[in-house]
Amino acid sequence: MAAFDYAPAIVLLPFVSFLVSLGAALYGDDVLPKGGALAGIVATAGSLILSLWVFFTVSAGNVYNQTIYTWTTGAGAAGEEALELTFGLLLDPLSSMMLIIVSLVALLVHVFSLGYMNDEGETGLPRYYAGLGLFSASMLGFVVAHNILMAFMFFELVGLCSFLLIGFWFREPGPPSAAKKAFLVTRFGDYFFLVGVVAIFATFGTGRFAGAESFPVLAEEVLAGEVAVNTFGFAPTTWFTVVGLLVLGGVIGKSAQFPLHTWLPDAMEGPTPVSALIHAATMVAAGVYLVARMYGFYAVSPTALAVIALVGGFTALVAATMGVVKREIKQVLAYSTISQYGYMMLALGAGGYVAATFHLLTHAFFKALLFLGAGSVIIAMHHNENMWDMGGLKDRMPVTYWTFLSGSLALAGIIPFAGFWSKDEVLYEALVHGLGTDGGLGTIFLVAYAFGLLAVFFTGFYTFRMVFLTFHGDARTGQARDPEGVGWNVKGPLAVLGVLAAVTGFVNMTPVADLFDLDIEYLHRWLEGPEGVEFMSALSAHHYLELLESDVTGIHAAELDPLIPGGVSLLLALAGVGLAYALYGRGEPEEYTAKLGGVQDLLYNNYYQDEYQVAIAERVVLPLSRAADKFDQSGVDGVVNGVSSVSLFSGSRVRRVQTGLVSNYAALVTLGLTVLLVAFGIYGGWLL
Amino acid sequence: MIIEALIGFTFLAALVVMLAPDEYAGRLAFGLSLLPVVGSLYMWSQFDATGNALLEGGSLAFETQVPWLTAAGYQIQWFVGVDGISLPLIVLATVLSSLAILSAWTPIDSRQSQFFGLMLFMEANLLGVFTALDFFLWFVFWEAVLVPMYFLIAIWGGPRRKYAAIKFFVYTNIASLIMFIGFMALVFNLDVNTFGLPAVAVALRSGGLSGAFGLSPTALKTAAFAAMFLGFAVKVPVVPFHTWLPDAHVEAPTPASVMLAGVLLKMGTYALLRFNFTMLPDVATQYAGVIAIFAVVSVIYGALLALAQQDLKRIVAYSSVSSMGYVILGLVAYTQLGVGGATFQMVAHGLISGLMFMAVGVIYNVTHTRMVGDMSGMADRMPVTVGILVAGAFGYMGLPLMAGFAAEYFIFQGAFASSVIPVAPLFTAVAMFGIVIVAGYLLLAMQRTLFGPFRLETDYEVTRAELHDTLPLMVLLLCTIALGVAPDIFFTMIKEAVTPILAIGGGA
Amino acid sequence: MVPAEWYLILAAAVFCIGVFGLLTRQNALLFLMSVELMLNAANINLAAFSYYWGNVTGQTFGLFVMALAAAEVAVGIGIILVLYRNFSAVDVTDATTMRW
Repeated sequence: MAAFDYAPAIVLLPFVSFLVSLGAALYGDDVLPKGGALAGIVATAGSLILSLWVFFTVSAGNVYNQTIYTWTTGAGAAGEEALELTFGLLLDPLSSMMLIIVSLVALLVHVFSLGYMNDEGETGLPRYYAGLGLFSASMLGFVVAHNILMAFMFFELVGLCSFLLIGFWFREPGPPSAAKKAFLVTRFGDYFFLVGVVAIFATFGTGRFAGAESFPVLAEEVLAGEVAVNTFGFAPTTWFTVVGLLVLGGVIGKSAQFPLHTWLPDAMEGPTPVSALIHAATMVAAGVYLVARMYGFYAVSPTALAVIALVGGFTALVAATMGVVKREIKQVLAYSTISQYGYMMLALGAGGYVAATFHLLTHAFFKALLFLGAGSVIIAMHHNENMWDMGGLKDRMPVTYWTFLSGSLALAGIIPFAGFWSKDEVLYEALVHGLGTDGGLGTIFLVAYAFGLLAVFFTGFYTFRMVFLTFHGDARTGQARDPEGVGWNVKGPLAVLGVLAAVTGFVNMTPVADLFDLDIEYLHRWLEGPEGVEFMSALSAHHYLELLESDVTGIHAAELDPLIPGGVSLLLALAGVGLAYALYGRGEPEEYTAKLGGVQDLLYNNYYQDEYQVAIAERVVLPLSRAADKFDQSGVDGVVNGVSSVSLFSGSRVRRVQTGLVSNYAALVTLGLTVLLVAFGIYGGWLL
Repeated sequence: MIIEALIGFTFLAALVVMLAPDEYAGRLAFGLSLLPVVGSLYMWSQFDATGNALLEGGSLAFETQVPWLTAAGYQIQWFVGVDGISLPLIVLATVLSSLAILSAWTPIDSRQSQFFGLMLFMEANLLGVFTALDFFLWFVFWEAVLVPMYFLIAIWGGPRRKYAAIKFFVYTNIASLIMFIGFMALVFNLDVNTFGLPAVAVALRSGGLSGAFGLSPTALKTAAFAAMFLGFAVKVPVVPFHTWLPDAHVEAPTPASVMLAGVLLKMGTYALLRFNFTMLPDVATQYAGVIAIFAVVSVIYGALLALAQQDLKRIVAYSSVSSMGYVILGLVAYTQLGVGGATFQMVAHGLISGLMFMAVGVIYNVTHTRMVGDMSGMADRMPVTVGILVAGAFGYMGLPLMAGFAAEYFIFQGAFASSVIPVAPLFTAVAMFGIVIVAGYLLLAMQRTLFGPFRLETDYEVTRAELHDTLPLMVLLLCTIALGVAPDIFFTMIKEAVTPILAIGGGA
Repeated sequence: MVPAEWYLILAAAVFCIGVFGLLTRQNALLFLMSVELMLNAANINLAAFSYYWGNVTGQTFGLFVMALAAAEVAVGIGIILVLYRNFSAVDVTDATTMRW
């Protein structure tokens, strides 16, 4: 297929734009027009066009799973075949859909950056666009990766770009610190991921996602007793669970799940378009995408699924409660991002592969929209992010308001916006699998569902608290009364995303389909993949369902009408919105959350999650290292210096013999001679 | 003959530079040092060796074997040759020497001709170490490397240079002595009449060892292994024999630090691979658990120490201890990726640590301080240098598509399923935690020195670095990326050379 | 013919006088003289044994020793001159600045 031949260019185009911008950065700000933005826009537009081409090629029933470049080969254990460490493309329905999300959001963010960065007179723009270009390239490389090692490599590169872009304003104290934290926390997760990658290669001898020799397929065959692999002395199920949880470490770090979510709110120190692209729509999605990518592997491990579901549900609720009290608009969005990714994890854990992918899709659009909308507000407010200083912006910036409202309705899950359909399906899947599955697993799913359901209320509340505080009522400061205007380059991306946030949900209206018996579940059909391609059968949604329902995993769905749970969650969301309206939507808003007292402090301080993590770093690790240093200086080096001091000391004493008086030397010589003579005399026998 | 030409030319160049006037010494030395670079790259392009230099069934490249003298019934030869393990290190040594000489133009402002002469003298001896295949010859080069390094530290070093230089010299020299005794105890009880390393390796495996000093052959082997391991462990350095390293690094002038971290440490791991792990694989596999503990402790403890440091050079010095721990872990794994990755790590760490030391040196040239607390926001004043330093630091943290990641990944992958190391997955997983700590201390140091508002506690005018200061950094960065993207530049030949070791490793 | 013992006793006596001078004097010139005495004690022995065995090799060595003594005096006087120049005296106990 011609599209597949050009597919590597999807990754390489933004990389070229990175090189161009980097070259420009070496020579100063003014080498390229618009500071390198044009190169980035052209490159991401090219990627988008190619991604669409790939998408249509895939929809015509073609898929692609080929190695492009062999990094190296080598045997990892004695007497085993050499491992193939390669780079290659896997273009199937899942990755081609994700390609479009990433390249579209990247393109829109590039355009938006013209308004947010160029028009605001930032310096160092080539560096900024170089970072965006490298990020786009790495993220797209991650999406198309056909094996887990390649995925890990691009996963890490994405983390690097995140570091560089969060720390873009490196002259201030805050951003470098946030950048460090982001990289370090995700690195902590990636450590487990890397152990997992190594374990996967050591166990299966391959890291491929798709094909007969891929590790999810091999895992399935091992559990069916068809082949044997080295499971390091564990039962296969146990070992696969361990490996799956190790990889999950990286997912939890990157997708900002509890307890490694602490870096994401800090990452808001970066420029807002970066927050939109990296910390909402794409990079944070990488973790969830990875689980979806290797879902066949997780589907055979009920324990791993339970952990995923529980972590996801818990994160969704906890993050949503923290979002309730925040004052900065971007902080609310940050916690909402964490919460929404929790939903996706919940869906994945509870066996809702399609639901998770669906929410990934809709969330990418509406969250990118909300962040860009927030960026527009921040421009207008002269970079004041505090919502209490805003108010009444509805009439002064209508485009931003209406698009932001579209995104908010989607986020809150109000019918018929995109978020409603996807969140509803997530919760529905969790509920039916919780009801249908026996034993502890079903209970865990139900608990996770309860978390998720409760979070719906908080989501509706914090979303509309944000909307009312920002746009409604009267302007509370001079900045809000006289906002700075924004240009087409801000409004354009907002408009595109605003429409998408409203309509994306229509690709998968499961309740409507059930109700009217219509065949409109396009996403379900899309993720089934084309018939007749060998490796696709193991990547299709119904195969995952078969795995979940197999004896190994034993997850079953209960028969349940989708209308009632959908109605419940909609009612909860509306209740949240209503409460927000009651508290903040009428007249002069008050800080009602202050009445929560200690609870507010707890929430405002994020349940002291940061504190204990910082305490671990500062009160445990640093003192430990200082103690080690002290031990090293006095203990280990003390021994070395002690040994040398023995010879130094004895030398300093023995050299006293050298008095410098020649008479003493002569006396010694004479004495020596006499002693010798006497000794010879005694032993010779002629003296005594 | 090309090896002789390379070594001979470098010695000659050292002599010429010694006699040259100080004003031209730097430029002359750099110009002359380019020829060995070209020579080593030519060797890379013409490389045709198969197998391992010490084991049967292979052939050496550029081999010369001439009888030299006979002592106590043992034949001593001029015996040099190259296999897939030594060639990457030769290229590393020539490239890094050249760049270190270039980076010395700015900081070295007295007795230049002697400085650059000593650098070239050291390079010549390093080439000898990596090519010699006769023990006597090898030992001469091995010891001769110490002499120029001693003077480089003691003359051009920092305030405590005498202490550091003597510590470095005495410590490593005593270690060499112990290693020498260990090796001699083996050879004198072996039925060989030569110091040729391949012959010794073959005889050791064919069971030609008789017991001595009241020890059985097995016990003698073990004792000799321990002596040699101790000797080389100081050079590597392996915790707890590492304390000379930070002192030497902190006091040494930057170009000497570059050579010390970049190449001299690799002498230790190279020798470990050649002697302990190739000649005495049975002992190595028997005590694999103990050696793996040394490796893991080096990784974690070294990284923890780096976290506590305030001096940028000390940070990089301790992180070298940590990185060299990975090498030991890879070596003891006795798998293709493990031993191969360890060899690859020698090159990768050479490039990246060289890059880090050079970058810190460039900053020191203009700030005259290396203390973390004395400066911040350097990125504002030296964007290019800081950019490269950040890239190098991420390389050090194992960023994919840079050489460090390739090496570390190979080692992890090789060690994880090793059948030689007991509970290999656990050891590997613990060692891998080093990648988190390394990120911690490098990011912390970068945040405090490079970013934030600009502040400098010394009275020096901060200027942009000269091109000849940043050029070596860029070259090293590009080399690192090239090796990370295409590790097969070296890894193919490394695999070829390490595979015979695995066969005898008893790991299967 | 005088027996060899008497020569040996004479030589030992001269040598002991030399050693005594070396151990008790502080004047560098006297040192030099004492050393001359010791050398000549050795010379007496050489000549005596040469005569005793009827072999001229010993006398030849006697000549060598004389030449050596001359050279030694030349060097010794040089050292004494330097000593005088640096310490304004020829007392050997003064020159201890290079110890430790």
